[in-house]
Amino acid sequence: MSTTLQHVGRARRWPIVGDPIYEGSRIPSRVPTVMDVPAALRETDDILQVNFGPNHPSTHGVLRLIVDLDGEDVVGLSAVIGYLHTGFEKNMEQKTWWKAITYPERIDYVGYQNNELVFVLAIEKLLELEVPEKATWTRMLLCELNRIHSHLVFLGTSALELGAISMFWYCFRERETILDLFELVAGQRMHTRYFQAGGIAEDIPGGFFPEARKFVERMPVALEEYLTLLDRNQIWLERTQGIGQLSAADAVALAQSGPVLRASGVDWDLRRDAPYLAYDQVDFRVPVYTGGDVYDRYRVRMDEMAESTKIARQCIDRLERMEGEPWIADDRKVVLPPREELHTSMESLIHHFKIVTEGYRVPAGEVYVAIESPRGESGCYVVSDGGPKPWRVHFRAPSFAALQATATCSKGALIADLIAIVGSLDAVMGDTDR
Amino acid sequence: MSDWSKIPGYVSTTEAYGETTVVVERDRVSDACAHARDELGFNVLIDVVATDYLHWGGQGVSGYIGTAGGRDLNLPMTQGLQALPNVKPARFSLSYHLLALRQGAPRLRLQCWLEDGDPVESIVPVWPAADWLEREQYDLMGIRFTGHPNLARLLMEDDWEGHPLRKDYPIGGEPVRFSPAE
Amino acid sequence: MSDEPTRLRDYGLQSERLLWPTKGPSRFEEELGVEELEQALGITTLEKAVRWAQTKSMWPDTFGLACCAIEMMSIVGSRYDLARFGMEAFRSSPRQADLLIVSGRVAHKMAKPLRQIYDQMLEPKWVIAMGACASSGGMFNNYAILQGVDRIVPVDIYVPFCPPRPEALMEGIIRLHEAHMAGIPPAYERKQVAT
Repeated sequence: MSTTLQHVGRARRWPIVGDPIYEGSRIPSRVPTVMDVPAALRETDDILQVNFGPNHPSTHGVLRLIVDLDGEDVVGLSAVIGYLHTGFEKNMEQKTWWKAITYPERIDYVGYQNNELVFVLAIEKLLELEVPEKATWTRMLLCELNRIHSHLVFLGTSALELGAISMFWYCFRERETILDLFELVAGQRMHTRYFQAGGIAEDIPGGFFPEARKFVERMPVALEEYLTLLDRNQIWLERTQGIGQLSAADAVALAQSGPVLRASGVDWDLRRDAPYLAYDQVDFRVPVYTGGDVYDRYRVRMDEMAESTKIARQCIDRLERMEGEPWIADDRKVVLPPREELHTSMESLIHHFKIVTEGYRVPAGEVYVAIESPRGESGCYVVSDGGPKPWRVHFRAPSFAALQATATCSKGALIADLIAIVGSLDAVMGDTDR
Repeated sequence: MSDWSKIPGYVSTTEAYGETTVVVERDRVSDACAHARDELGFNVLIDVVATDYLHWGGQGVSGYIGTAGGRDLNLPMTQGLQALPNVKPARFSLSYHLLALRQGAPRLRLQCWLEDGDPVESIVPVWPAADWLEREQYDLMGIRFTGHPNLARLLMEDDWEGHPLRKDYPIGGEPVRFSPAE
Repeated sequence: MSDEPTRLRDYGLQSERLLWPTKGPSRFEEELGVEELEQALGITTLEKAVRWAQTKSMWPDTFGLACCAIEMMSIVGSRYDLARFGMEAFRSSPRQADLLIVSGRVAHKMAKPLRQIYDQMLEPKWVIAMGACASSGGMFNNYAILQGVDRIVPVDIYVPFCPPRPEALMEGIIRLHEAHMAGIPPAYERKQVAT
């Protein structure tokens, strides 16, 4: 193991991770994801090992935590994952590019359109395909609505676990409105499969924009309601403030991203710093808090919901002016021709046939595309051999990284705080296990 | 930023699709990562990905006929063996995706090539985030990381045999009528 | 209806009316305004009454695995209200639950905990396989996913789609209620597999 790292002086750099653990870090042991029980405590025979089994009442799915307790203090922690390992990556290698787009949605099943977006963006990057503006703005609108959806599910379920049970119904009421919008546009509430390589599958139906506007007007009022319910609630504040702190240096060392990173004081948002889609043309703020505890992560997500509503409003304004524009690229080698053409044009028929049976071919190469999903940086690494099927697809899961920080955040926590911490990291097990 | 040759174990650089891929030698990967973090400022380890290139290029694929500037829609796409994808140096490629938290969000892909059974030094001392990332690649691809504090199976069961994401591992499941033999 | 026993004496029950045939209607019956008290009450067998009670408060277990769990949570929400069926009390402990809604894809690693949870439930118990993945493995025909949860637990109702709409899940639940009210025994008594 090479430990002779040469430290060259730099004006501003992150603390160096060495062995033993560097100063100021709360990373608990040589194995960053495991908190070991101190040897002295282990010998006193006072430790109770509890299994937060894969099936437990908090709604995070199938996460298993093996917790060592000294009374109510958590002195040892290790997380076992893999109970939802689905083999997405291997399955996608068996399907053509078009059919493979169906799979990524099920990975992060709460922010589903973001996963679809990242895979489709990777295909388009390899194809060097130009996507029409209307498709870009629609994708942005749906991804922002999906971000609000994801944060609503987070808020509802986290509050439910901490005892603020009525928040669940408030959040899910707004969530139903969002799912209605998705159903209007794509035909299905969840797992919409609306994005195609080259644009979106179908045009936005009439009647969508008034409904979307109604939602966008309603959302700030709803956010006020949630803040009223939670933010002045003494129990909520005491259960979330000061709990599960993660310093900025630890967050960067543990590859955190998204709300967890921003709540620890690092001002980083891929939508602003590495803009994709049309995020450089909309106006929004990136909320950053410095406490790094559960309360700040909750505040970041609340503020993000407000910002997403702003972005959605701007997208709706822009899309309403794009009536009648094309919603998918024109490249017939990749995109199906419109059905009316099939009756008259032989080339269209052949293209349709080749694309449906064999699938379009994506040039050989490897790309990595990353977007800002509700959980953090969600990325897709695609290797293509030039054929109709992907050679290797790998998804970088933000929840995977977030769960690695559980042991660091839970240092010195009580068992009740552990629930709050795991909830605030907002890990979706489908995303973790893939 | 373009002085990639200073990275320890440097072999080559490729720039494609706006991304930089630097190939380093397998036994200098840990030093290369530390150099990238300290000297070049790539402070976040985004991902560790292994790719299995077994049977790569076994059947020719027809690519687009066109120039780097664009494809010509008027030229038909043939089904003949237009192009074989480039031959790969070894069976597995291990890519480390890095990100620098500064303006422009520069990214780097450090890549090394290894054969089945070759060990790679673990970079957990450099970034703690590599803990589960390396375990996952060990579990699914069978790449052995030396010096990893806890190299055990992560996603599959503890007593699972085989490494599922390899190309010689079957897809599994049950046989279904009318689908290609799997 | 006419061949069904409706009189108390047909059940072999003795009432004071039988012992005193000449007694007229009581004050209570006069107020009710019916001639025969038995026709104003619901006469049923004990089994039917018990089945009715079981149907009206069939508490599910919190077994949300994947995407279908999100839709299962939304039927507890206020739009698709599950509380009108008496089922909003999702029990965390399988010992207190009647219904196991397997919502989501079951990996082989999860199959053992799933069977353990099912074994911990007390009879009578029902299983709903929610979604395509629980019914048959769904779109994941691979090494990691159990191809249908009925390989390890006996399933009463299969709810298709990916993920099923909350109304679809409700349809499944209502059909389960109707089946149970009609006297169809739970799956572990009917099916010869996975018991």
